[in-house]
Amino acid sequence: MNKRFLLPLLLSLFSSFALANEIELEHDPIPTDRASVLRGAEQVATVCSSCHGLKYVQYRSLLDLGIAKETVDVWRGDKPLNSAMKPQMAPDDAAAAFGVTPPDLSLMAVAREGGVHYLYSYLMGYGVGANGETTNRIFTVTKMPDVLGISAASDAKQREEISAKAKDITAFLNWAADPRAGDRRSLGIYVIIYLLIMTILLFLWKKQIWRKIDAMEKL
Amino acid sequence: MFKSTLAWIDQRFPLTHFIKNDLADYPTPRNLSYWWNFGSLAGLVLVMQLVTGIFLAMHYKPDIATAFDSIQHIMRDVNYGWLLRYMHSTGASAFFAVIYIHMARTLYHGSYRAPRELLWWTGQGLLLLLMATAFMGYLLPWGQMSYWGAAVITNLFRATPFFGEQVVVWLRGDFQVGDATLTRFYALHFLFPFIIVGAVMIHLIALHTVKSSNPRGIELKPKDNIPFHPYYTIKDMLGVAVYLVVFSAFVFFVPNTLIEAANNIPANPMQTPAHIVPEWYFLPFYAILRSVPDLAGGVAAMGLSVLIFAAMPYLDRSRIPGGARYRPAYRFLFFIFLADMLVLGYVGAVPVTADTAIVGRVATEIYFLTFLLLPWISKKEEAYLIKRGLPPAVEEFLQNNANKKH
Amino acid sequence: MSSKDNVVNPERRNFLGKVTTVAGATGAAAACWPLVSSMNPSVDVLSNATTEVDLSHIPPGGMHTVAWQGKPVFILHRTEEEINRMKELSQIEPVADEKRVQQPQWLVVVGICTHLGCVPNRSENGWLCACHGSQYDDSGRVTHGPAPHNLDVPPYKFLSADRIVIG
Repeated sequence: MNKRFLLPLLLSLFSSFALANEIELEHDPIPTDRASVLRGAEQVATVCSSCHGLKYVQYRSLLDLGIAKETVDVWRGDKPLNSAMKPQMAPDDAAAAFGVTPPDLSLMAVAREGGVHYLYSYLMGYGVGANGETTNRIFTVTKMPDVLGISAASDAKQREEISAKAKDITAFLNWAADPRAGDRRSLGIYVIIYLLIMTILLFLWKKQIWRKIDAMEKL
Repeated sequence: MFKSTLAWIDQRFPLTHFIKNDLADYPTPRNLSYWWNFGSLAGLVLVMQLVTGIFLAMHYKPDIATAFDSIQHIMRDVNYGWLLRYMHSTGASAFFAVIYIHMARTLYHGSYRAPRELLWWTGQGLLLLLMATAFMGYLLPWGQMSYWGAAVITNLFRATPFFGEQVVVWLRGDFQVGDATLTRFYALHFLFPFIIVGAVMIHLIALHTVKSSNPRGIELKPKDNIPFHPYYTIKDMLGVAVYLVVFSAFVFFVPNTLIEAANNIPANPMQTPAHIVPEWYFLPFYAILRSVPDLAGGVAAMGLSVLIFAAMPYLDRSRIPGGARYRPAYRFLFFIFLADMLVLGYVGAVPVTADTAIVGRVATEIYFLTFLLLPWISKKEEAYLIKRGLPPAVEEFLQNNANKKH
Repeated sequence: MSSKDNVVNPERRNFLGKVTTVAGATGAAAACWPLVSSMNPSVDVLSNATTEVDLSHIPPGGMHTVAWQGKPVFILHRTEEEINRMKELSQIEPVADEKRVQQPQWLVVVGICTHLGCVPNRSENGWLCACHGSQYDDSGRVTHGPAPHNLDVPPYKFLSADRIVIG
């Protein structure tokens, strides 16, 4: 949910305006379970990281996520544990090869309108154009090749596998964009429970103190 | 020991007098609704913003090379940094929500009317300070929305007669929004809240001089006033608890609802995001700005749309006391105004098209008409109500006023 | 107005009131914890809490300064002669040299004067603190005041013959 949509959402009930130029995103639920995130981490660390870095995610934080030290050691090579996840290809070389510098992925899951759904739809958005060229319906001028191969997928089973992979990658990048989200939610539950109890106690106490006033004639 | 210490202080500072007269025994109408909670609630929100802000300032770096990174450092590495940051960013929106409700209550119940004009105007000053503080704070994360929001708003000063260009450059300290702008916005964003605290003191002194209004709009007899403590302390605490439940739900579960996606991309002076939208609390005023197809005219209309509230004590000319309670036409006008605000908010949020431009224009006209027609409507309504017959309390009030004059 | 329960001063210090007050005060106190905690070292600072040092570059008699938790740590490669000279106890805070080293040729001490926190300079037979004139010997023990204590020995261990990790 985004505030730009909140108000229009309410008002569009009694208005005839439609939002202009909105791309239809796929709203498949993006998994948040650990297994998906870990599978996604592997994809990102071994495939995506050829070109893309995650400058706000250090290798040490992958350990906190629950990835084995040996695996992280393989991924980081000779980079220290405190190093950010850097792309294997130097940014200048990548820029020369693709025409643009591949963007950093740390915040990619929250940096586009639609968030994770944009990301998933983008990964799944490749197709074949009229002249046999690869296109992307979400981000038409993208320079990234169809790494997952969805545009060439022929049968449903293949599409299913690629979709699962795209979801895992999205799940990991969603974690990477806000690694403290788990702490946040688990603390939030206790805070809200406490505040609800306080609300009830204060409500009862308020009623008790106001008893004589509430019994008076209304003004 | 305690008593003698207190006596020692009281000879030198009116502590007991202050606690007794302004906190404990402060006479408060017994018929205040829960809409009266939002004043003290705004005070709490101010304190929370101050506290979280000061702790964030210990980790934030006001430099265009490091500002964006330092926010991520706060979000990822600082202990509970995410909590401080989300409380502060959500708190900004919460502050406006609380203040707008506080203002809506004042308008609905006519609490701005004599003798509370100064109370209303100090509140108006607080709103302007709050807007300035929020605007400058929004630049600090140095995301795309931060940057372009600041670029657009500072450009409004181009409408200054004769010196437009110079004023814009002076405000920014640069030809574009840049390092100098970020650093001064940070300095002022740190300073302004303390000025707000001072202004709140003045607001409270004014309040305690004229005392709280009440839903009837007629001052109550002394027997109908009750001591602030414990009645309103407990009622305010209950309001705080309910507020905190809602606030926490946002902070812990949907903290990004109010953060634009584009603000997760570092500021790029070479590329403007597809839609740039101000924060929701500026949307109605932004819509008014866009509805006038002329820079100076738009800026003037937007400025006037905020400042016109100050004229309310003089625009409302009815002799019938209070706000909507005894005055159906006033109540109707209030809800028209509220609906118009929502429409303006919607228009401010969507890209300009031919349709939204017309709606924006009409809504802007209605906005100003509700103010400008008020003197006439309030007089017509007064005549009609007197002819129809008034409730005894109002009758008595008018009689007393008439007697005073003779 | 002798009754405890009237309009001006209603009864409020009952069980419900006490429970609510205690619960509210507890919550308010707990809410301070994130503020306090946010001032503690952040995760990235803590992750620099250990430092690995390669000793093979330090010749006998040579000293190397490394940063550990932002503090200077002196690593002195002591010669046989220096080791022998340290057999005697120092006067101000007597500690045997063997207790301050893991291997006699390697002295590892925090390079912060125990007086007021300046960084002492290497001198002829140890260190001299330029701030207030404290002197330390080649075991980092104070030989001349005003410093009250010997230089601290940080926790460290040998990963191999010429590699240590401090912290």
